Amino acid sequence: MDTLLSTIILVTFLVTIIMAIGSYAAYKLRESRRPGIEEPPPGDESLYYERILVEGEDGPDRRE
Amino acid sequence: MWLSYLHHIESRERPVVDRTPRPVTIIVPVYNEETLIAAALRSLLALDYPAFDVLVVDDGSTDRTLERAASLEGRYGPVTLRVVSKVNGGKASALNTGIALARTPYVLCMDGDCRLARGTLRSAMRHFDDARVGAVAGNVKVVNRTNIWTRLQALEYIEGLNMARRAQGFLRVVNIIPGPIGIFRVDVLRQVGGYDTDTYAEDADLTLKILTAGWHVRYEGRAIAWTEAPEDFLDLIKQRYRWTRGILQALRKRSSWLASPRGGLAVWGSLLAMLFEAILWPAVNVFGNLLFAIAALSVGVPSNIFYWWVLLTMLDVAAAVYTVAMEEEDLALLPYAVVYRFLFITMIDVAKLFATVEEAANVRMTWGKLARIGRT
Repeated sequence: MDTLLSTIILVTFLVTIIMAIGSYAAYKLRESRRPGIEEPPPGDESLYYERILVEGEDGPDRRE
Repeated sequence: MWLSYLHHIESRERPVVDRTPRPVTIIVPVYNEETLIAAALRSLLALDYPAFDVLVVDDGSTDRTLERAASLEGRYGPVTLRVVSKVNGGKASALNTGIALARTPYVLCMDGDCRLARGTLRSAMRHFDDARVGAVAGNVKVVNRTNIWTRLQALEYIEGLNMARRAQGFLRVVNIIPGPIGIFRVDVLRQVGGYDTDTYAEDADLTLKILTAGWHVRYEGRAIAWTEAPEDFLDLIKQRYRWTRGILQALRKRSSWLASPRGGLAVWGSLLAMLFEAILWPAVNVFGNLLFAIAALSVGVPSNIFYWWVLLTMLDVAAAVYTVAMEEEDLALLPYAVVYRFLFITMIDVAKLFATVEEAANVRMTWGKLARIGRT
């Protein structure tokens, strides 16, 4: 009985950890193979904006 | 669990009552959301609240997001839907643009790929009757419960994230207003300088700024944002990796606050809780399980450890039953509580540990973007 329980505990733990580390390695590999979106350096962003539609103040009345 | 129950009772005893509505602007930052944007905006227009506007901030999308959002711009009864566009600068800068352009004293910041429940604003806005409340955190739920990973995440949001947030809400010190749904006083956002762009967890960083400025942050379980969770396990790892590094970056900015409770016990406790959640608990979970596995083999007490595992699993199932019932959620999520702790949380915790090591080593990272299918 003790051997069976030991095996269950060990196998469960090892499988979980191997899956976790394997998934993390796969994630890092995938990320290294595709370009990410570079964040602009702090303070270097532009905050300008433009209205897309300026018709009156709030755009057309859509209420039918 | 006890504090979350007290919050639940407190919430039930405070009914939603109609009074003069406080005007709100819903800020929707979007970046390459062409598959979701039209349906998402139409769902916002159906919200049950008499005084709100919708402001879409396109963060330099390279697809047809802007075109599709602009086609919906206009007035819909009392609701005005506006669309603005800016050069790409990340979600935080898109939200800051929205805050700067808001014409109302309150804003609701959300993710472009989320849907809000109809009664969200009506439930959340009543918290601002208390002049000490600077912000309200909403309840995030997983909409795409299509495979084991998304169902486990659905359970995690209910049993883990929301239960903790509910308990923190009872103490008025919610330490992360989730990105998918947060409601703020605009004056408070201006006082703390809006969102910073120097962390990967702008929501956690902003919440800490609001708490350290002395404002209360509450939780409203009936203000619901339905979000699309990562369906692929590698995308889930990517999300949690970013969350962990972002939280550590936000904590590092306040490292002096961690050393002593000079900003008040509540804020200090919140910071310590975040540190515990990000570093200590994952380490204890992974290395504790390793220790027990070794003990089972070497010391020869496998039955004790096996029954301890069973006991912990039973506790998890009990916590799942309690929280699922409290949120009137889907009972079909309960069986997943059996593998929640030892499989799901352990795998996530391993990714958190790697993220902690890489943050300490200052390994370069990019934001990236999770693929959304449009199940909301």
